Amino acid sequence: MAKRKTVLKVSHLTKSYGDVVIVDNFNLTVSEGEAVALTGRNGAGKSTILRCLVGADRPTEGTIEVLGQKMSETNPEMRRAVATVIDDLDFFPDLSVVEHLDLLARAHGLDDADALVDEVLEEVQLVPQSGQLPGTLSSGQRRRLALATGFVRPRKLLILDEPEQRLDVEGVQWLGERLRQERAHGLAIVMASHEPSLVEAVGCRIVRVGAPQ
Amino acid sequence: MSDQLPNDEELDLESPDLDDEPSNAHIDLMPTHEVDEKQLLLLMKDWRRGRATRNLRQAISDGYVAVFTAAMITAMVVSAIVHAQQVAADCSTASCNSGRSLLPWAAVAGLLVLTLAAARMFGPVLASAAEGFWLMDAPLQRGKLLVRRLWMALGAALVSGLVLGALVAALTGSSGPAILAWSAATGLSAAGVTAFAAAEQGAERRWTVKLLQVVVSLAGVVVLVIVVSTAAGWVDIRVTDEFSIRLALILSGVGLVLGIVGAGVAIHRLNRIRRSRLTSGGSLVSGMQGAAFALDFGLVRDILVEREAMERGRVKPTRGRGIGLRALVWRDVQRLIRYPKPLFLLAVSVVVPYAVQALGLGPLNAPISALVLMAALIPFFSTLRVLSRTKGLARAFPYNTGEIRTAASVAPSVLTAIWAMAVIPAYLGVSTEEAGNSPVRAVQIALVTAIAGLLAAIRWVSAKSADYSKPMLATQMGAMPPGLLINLIRGFDIVALVTFPVIVGWSPWISLVIALIAFSILRSGGLDRESLAEMQEDQKRQMEEQKKKSSSTGGGDKVKITRGR
Repeated sequence: MAKRKTVLKVSHLTKSYGDVVIVDNFNLTVSEGEAVALTGRNGAGKSTILRCLVGADRPTEGTIEVLGQKMSETNPEMRRAVATVIDDLDFFPDLSVVEHLDLLARAHGLDDADALVDEVLEEVQLVPQSGQLPGTLSSGQRRRLALATGFVRPRKLLILDEPEQRLDVEGVQWLGERLRQERAHGLAIVMASHEPSLVEAVGCRIVRVGAPQ
Repeated sequence: MSDQLPNDEELDLESPDLDDEPSNAHIDLMPTHEVDEKQLLLLMKDWRRGRATRNLRQAISDGYVAVFTAAMITAMVVSAIVHAQQVAADCSTASCNSGRSLLPWAAVAGLLVLTLAAARMFGPVLASAAEGFWLMDAPLQRGKLLVRRLWMALGAALVSGLVLGALVAALTGSSGPAILAWSAATGLSAAGVTAFAAAEQGAERRWTVKLLQVVVSLAGVVVLVIVVSTAAGWVDIRVTDEFSIRLALILSGVGLVLGIVGAGVAIHRLNRIRRSRLTSGGSLVSGMQGAAFALDFGLVRDILVEREAMERGRVKPTRGRGIGLRALVWRDVQRLIRYPKPLFLLAVSVVVPYAVQALGLGPLNAPISALVLMAALIPFFSTLRVLSRTKGLARAFPYNTGEIRTAASVAPSVLTAIWAMAVIPAYLGVSTEEAGNSPVRAVQIALVTAIAGLLAAIRWVSAKSADYSKPMLATQMGAMPPGLLINLIRGFDIVALVTFPVIVGWSPWISLVIALIAFSILRSGGLDRESLAEMQEDQKRQMEEQKKKSSSTGGGDKVKITRGR
């Protein structure tokens, strides 16, 4: 069996705010087709790790490499490779649901993205809301739209922060199945989750994150 | 019934002894008295007073910087009025004088449009979320609670109208009686349209207020065009001071009648206003208050845009065009077709350089017109605004900050170029009887004005909010984040910087060089101290890593090369 390529390598990641150390010497390697679930109590540092992984926060110490390159949030190569759904995703108030997905697909170079956008829209059950503006969506529908943005574009690494949040039972089941398929197609996944059924469905390697010091 | 509230002992607010009374199931929940709305309001007033930690004198004493700033601004306004009166004395031709005396008419129209827009947005009668939750469901006469809110809305419209009307009339060099007349006209008509909007709110009708707003807007544009045409001498409309005052008095009368009738009808309909309609205005005000206290006017606008989008709710989706960055540009073009209203405002802003030139304020034309252009261009930067305020969505686009900012500025830049061409004749002096600039200089100044407005709009929409997580500055008004006060001059700074050489009569090329530097900084995301520190740190790390590599492998490489030979 061919050796799987390393997609993400985190070495000695430490993040502190003043004297408070949130993440201390965290190490992680994720290969193609591998899913990792960060679990742990509230405040353990899962979201902080993910924010560092996507470049939203800067580690106090340590390095993060994606596909062999040092992580930089503004590097277009990184932005092409890494799809993220964390808490800071915003939407254009004046573009409809389907227009968001169409714009993202086109920005990533997919000229004829209609079929893909329609498919993803149907998967996230937002077809009836396709013409709605984001401000009118419920919190669960906004979460579905956020997840959809990760699936209408090319990606090699998917980073999700508690993706099960605000999803109904059906939604969590769909997400588990979808992520399992993505994994089978070689996508590397890192997610923080409090939902054992989701972690199990995706077949994640579980990494327990410790409490802050 | 007495207005005095009973004290706590009389009300017996002591909680019951839980040991003796384990359950309240036995309490008779049938009301024994009718609710007295006046007593309820007094009770709320008493609570609010009881929670105050400082009195007015202490607040003013603590905020002396704010008081000092207010005094400075007042002094500047007075100085500007005195200067305007002197300039008005220089306005020697009859056409120039007529143009000036017409300006308060445009000001009235402008303020009425703003008043109607605010009335539609907020209510004008509104209630806070807490009042909506606790009081509006209670068995009481809602109208009795809301009537104070109605008077407050009318009072606010009246006072702002009085002040702004007086200010505009004074700044245009009007005589004392004319200032008083226009002040009354603006204040009373603003209160009148607010009362009309309140009456329509009770009838759940929005289209009438919108129609009135459109009519007044068109009237304002017509007046503005007349101002320019008159001042330029294209049409001969003689407006005497006496006629102007008479018109202002007629307007005052109409405003007063509308106010009285509208207020009467509004009071009659107050009970009918739905709770959701009342609290939506209240929550909008509280959200905007929060953003305004942080001096984050970008956020204030975001709240309004979000509200407008929610009212619209749904659009007919359109398929995008192009791929890569062109997709972003095409989306902006599609936005223009979907939301054409800002184009109307941009078109109106073209009149401003002509009007300013016609009124003999030529030297200040570039900064004044650039500021107006900045305001008119902001709505076209929707993409840039959203991709600047939070990083989440920007991260989803595979481009760096500079590429995104450039793409998001293409559509507004094209509009700016058209605007620049449209205002060249203003700088040539077609709207004034005095000699204008040479064709080359007119083109240069038009370009400088347009670029200043464009860059100021980019700066306004893309500047970062004050960061409350960073170390604060200690001031007499309390702790303040360092970027807070800079928020106040966001955009204005660029206009001042770029147009300064033109104001003082230097070569416009200097302005263009400054604009180029400003653009390169804005394009890269601004001069952010934190980002610069990060970049320095990055470079330092890279150098250290290279040093380590070269010290561990550098000798080996040489050996390899030697072996190869």
